[in-house]
Amino acid sequence: MVEDRTLAGRLFGIVNFALLALIAIVMMLPFIHVVAGSFTTSAEMAVKKFVLIPTDWSIDAYKFIFSTNTIFRSMAVSVGITVVGTLFSMLISSMMAYGLARRDLDGRQVFMFLVVFTMLFNGGLIPTFLVVKELGLIDNYAALILPISINAFNLIILKNFFQNIPEGLEESAKIDGCNDFGILFRIVLPLSMPVIATISLFYAVTYWNTYLNAIMYLNESKMWPIQVLLRQIVVLASGLDYSSDLDSAVPPPDQAVKMAVIVVATLPILLVYPFLQKHFAKGALLGSVKG
Amino acid sequence: MQQAIARPEPELRSESRLSRRLVRNKWLYLMILPGLLYFVIFKYLPMYGLIIAFKDYKPFAGINGSEWVGFKHFDRLFTESDFGTILTNTLVLFGLNLVFFFPIPIILSLMLNEVRLTFFKRIFQTIIYLPHFMSWVIIVSIGYVMLTMDGGIINEFIASLGFEKINFLLSPEWFRPTYIIQVIWREAGWGTIIYLAAIAAIDPQLYEAARMDGAGRLRQIWHITLPAIRSVIIVLLILKIGDVLELGFEHVYLLLNSMNRDVAEIIDTYVYTAGLRQGQFSYSTAVGFFKSLVGLVMVVIANRLAKKMGEEGVY
Amino acid sequence: MNGKVPSILLSMALVAGALTGCGGNDNDNETSSPKASEPASSGSPSASTPASETPKDEKPTEITIMLPLNTSETPPDTIKNEVEKLTNTKLTYQFFPADTYEEKLNASLATGSLPDVTYLKNQATFIQMKGAIRDGQFWEIGPYLKDFPNLSKLKEQILNNTKVDGKLYSLYIGRPLARQGLIYRKDWADKLGLKAPETVADVVAMAKAFTEKDPDGDGKPNTIGLADRNDLVYGAFKTLASWLGTPNNWGEKDGQLQPDFTFPQYIASMDVMKEIRDAKAMNQDFAATSKTDQVNLFTSGQAGMYIGAMSDVDSLNKDLVKNVPTAVVDTQALIKGPNGELSTWAIPGYNNVVLFPKGAIKDEEELKKVLAFFDKMMTPEVANVMYWGIEGTHYTVEDGKAKASDNKELTEREVKGFKDSVIGEAETNGMYEGYYTLEARIHAEEFTVENEKIAIHDPAAALDSATYTEKGTELQNIITDATYQYIYGKLDKAGFEKEIATWKSRGGDKIIEEFNAAYKK
Repeated sequence: MVEDRTLAGRLFGIVNFALLALIAIVMMLPFIHVVAGSFTTSAEMAVKKFVLIPTDWSIDAYKFIFSTNTIFRSMAVSVGITVVGTLFSMLISSMMAYGLARRDLDGRQVFMFLVVFTMLFNGGLIPTFLVVKELGLIDNYAALILPISINAFNLIILKNFFQNIPEGLEESAKIDGCNDFGILFRIVLPLSMPVIATISLFYAVTYWNTYLNAIMYLNESKMWPIQVLLRQIVVLASGLDYSSDLDSAVPPPDQAVKMAVIVVATLPILLVYPFLQKHFAKGALLGSVKG
Repeated sequence: MQQAIARPEPELRSESRLSRRLVRNKWLYLMILPGLLYFVIFKYLPMYGLIIAFKDYKPFAGINGSEWVGFKHFDRLFTESDFGTILTNTLVLFGLNLVFFFPIPIILSLMLNEVRLTFFKRIFQTIIYLPHFMSWVIIVSIGYVMLTMDGGIINEFIASLGFEKINFLLSPEWFRPTYIIQVIWREAGWGTIIYLAAIAAIDPQLYEAARMDGAGRLRQIWHITLPAIRSVIIVLLILKIGDVLELGFEHVYLLLNSMNRDVAEIIDTYVYTAGLRQGQFSYSTAVGFFKSLVGLVMVVIANRLAKKMGEEGVY
Repeated sequence: MNGKVPSILLSMALVAGALTGCGGNDNDNETSSPKASEPASSGSPSASTPASETPKDEKPTEITIMLPLNTSETPPDTIKNEVEKLTNTKLTYQFFPADTYEEKLNASLATGSLPDVTYLKNQATFIQMKGAIRDGQFWEIGPYLKDFPNLSKLKEQILNNTKVDGKLYSLYIGRPLARQGLIYRKDWADKLGLKAPETVADVVAMAKAFTEKDPDGDGKPNTIGLADRNDLVYGAFKTLASWLGTPNNWGEKDGQLQPDFTFPQYIASMDVMKEIRDAKAMNQDFAATSKTDQVNLFTSGQAGMYIGAMSDVDSLNKDLVKNVPTAVVDTQALIKGPNGELSTWAIPGYNNVVLFPKGAIKDEEELKKVLAFFDKMMTPEVANVMYWGIEGTHYTVEDGKAKASDNKELTEREVKGFKDSVIGEAETNGMYEGYYTLEARIHAEEFTVENEKIAIHDPAAALDSATYTEKGTELQNIITDATYQYIYGKLDKAGFEKEIATWKSRGGDKIIEEFNAAYKK
């Protein structure tokens, strides 16, 4: 690490740090509120409104959520889809991104344009549903993966990063007898760990958040991922249905439950990023190869 | 034909080079094939459905069975008496996004990069992307708790200082600030992730060399860090411009109420009430089509500009 | 690599085929058709009331049912198994979360995959479906009802409210007509020497007193009268307006139907709300307040009045006493206007309907079997199971009413999912009324019954207007906004009139015309 011992440098560092600390606190507060709220009762939340430290500790909310098999089963489903989906998406996205990053590929501009085009124009829910249905994917977990296997934005980012790998490396790999697949898997990917980690995270979050696709393509409620269950709890607890319909004979769940749901829904994904942060230090590798 | 050997015809030359290139790059084409298949099947095939923007679509009649109405829906959109206001509102929010939100993840990632202690760097990074995981429902409801005149924290604080309470939630003047602050709060941290990935690829020796030359930290940032992430910034900027009319529906919808509708009604919320709530798919598709078209034009222009300035565009 | 080309082409061909309007023709849903062993004579054999008389040699009718999910998880099979036994059916329930139910409904409609029995979501979805209904996508069940003794008990008036072009296609899930009223802190009223409000003026006075006179006795000005939310219909406004005699959505003036906001009582109602708000006797930000926050205001002990569905009093009380153990609530209705007018508004009597898609039910025989199932649902045996659960496990009977067991979680998990699917109402399907221990709730039930006598119905409930279907909701925003702005003092009477004129010029006039044309018929 480069140390900077000049006064200006130190001052800069301190101010920088202080600002970031302040920002971090501001970002944290509402999250603390959610976590605190999940450990209290809805009665207390009504009074205190913005709870940071619960006075009335209770894990009732969590007990409620974890008291059935549904949550474990749906969490297993979510984990399964996320892992498989992320791997699959990263595989075909990386391949396509690398192919399009190579300047000697004819038609790459056209292909890229076609990709960008799909970011702007979208057929819509029902036409996409029709396609999935005709492919026989209804009530099949593949319906939660295939229709979203490549995210155009992610693809563009990958391509952009791959483009920045010096061509010299590719040349020498070719001389060594690698074909394009080899170059991708042995040279490019290892050198791109930061962006690979990043895009993997993006895909993982998308798969983890699968909700609407599950409702549309899976009629069998036993197959539903966790977001369906959790969102159902939150929506019911908020009394928030956009068509402002009430009139169910069923009263909504607890406010504290709503908070607990948020914690449960986001915790797994939150834990993923810190693990990925390790890979952000790989930039040093590039320098040593060049030298 | 001994003459032909020396100088092949120009046409023949490029053709053979092309076919040779295709063959030589066959693995590359193989690599992009699965992806292309994906786009064709799951993106382009459903685009056929866009045709309902020109029809009077009824789900039970199917797409082909529905009646053709040409530009009727677009007509309806443009002659909508509030169209001007709605469009303006959308553009203003986009402008706020571009000017106030867009630079922040960049600045934040630069700041994070300057933190020397890895432990804190990681902690800060993780914390600032936490808000991204909270849904707009939660964020707006927390916003309510803080901003309401009926005992909200901020207003109570203001009142205790002797000032009059501010009507954050209902007054038109406060809608836009509330909106953009919430957007920044939620997305700024998440946006840093990509920039940090790009910064991670910078060779540390560059910094070393710069220090030897006597450059202070700000200069190092300006001459090393920023240029390294420039291409990422450009790409993200172009894509953002393509989203000119595409704002987060859910967020605005939750903030919208009868008092601030004049500034808060954007195209998406308008279409929700006018289209989807009344089961009018064709109309909402037509409006979506319009938004996409505008976005496309903007992306094409932005991309061309970028290339003129010597950058790699998005395509 | 070459194998992919034919499969792409095949997929494209399939999609092209699918996109050519397969509504109703394509039947690839999960239903197996009911066995056709039953003679198609009039009077379904298994429709007699006691379910135990079902002939045992008949094969069970297989029915697939699609309905909204109003609980966190889909219920286990406990109740379903019981119902199957009682009705000789084999049921497949498909629950889908309520807030994305419409998308699912439309996608299924678009692909002809609606199951035998399709619940809609609410009145709004019903209006959207009318186009499909008119197109012949669903069975007209009106003529068959007379063959089923229990189905015939469904209330005529409510059935009429669900007719499309004079024909009946649906069974309704009933709701009490008029359960709006006032819930208030009786302990505060007692402390301040106020009795239960009898007129609107009393209500306003109570709101002010609750705000100004420190009813919780803590010496701090931290209480307000009314807690309201951003809903003019199910919040306080419409109910208050009805107490002042405002028509319900539409009213007659000189033989013509006119919208409620053109009547002087509407303006008077806005004035009352304005008065309360100006006196700071209600939450200032009510136009942005969600139901959660409204409820919080009450249950935290900050607000003392809540105007809405009186049946909410149980859950309000539950949380209130956790915060304020000495709190006592009560309900009040039958509140008079300044000139002695006594009225309240009625919903059309249903909150959801069931339809029978022709794509899933192939012929009359199948239809009759499905209807037979619903006929049995309208008996106490089956209705009680679906609404209350299994006697002894989920509820006990006291005083001829059903008392929910203390194991609320069990009931929530196993029974609640089915509650909203019971057709009819207690009077017609014979199920138990609820046994309530909370005084306020008992009063609420009594008031709900009394309310029916003074209820104002919406004369346009069963009528159709093409313009309303096309842009009624978006036009209504003009009026909703104007109402809020008037109450907040941003608009005066002249300004309000101007907004009405805007509403009329943008299509409101046509709506009036069309409803009146339908009314005359």
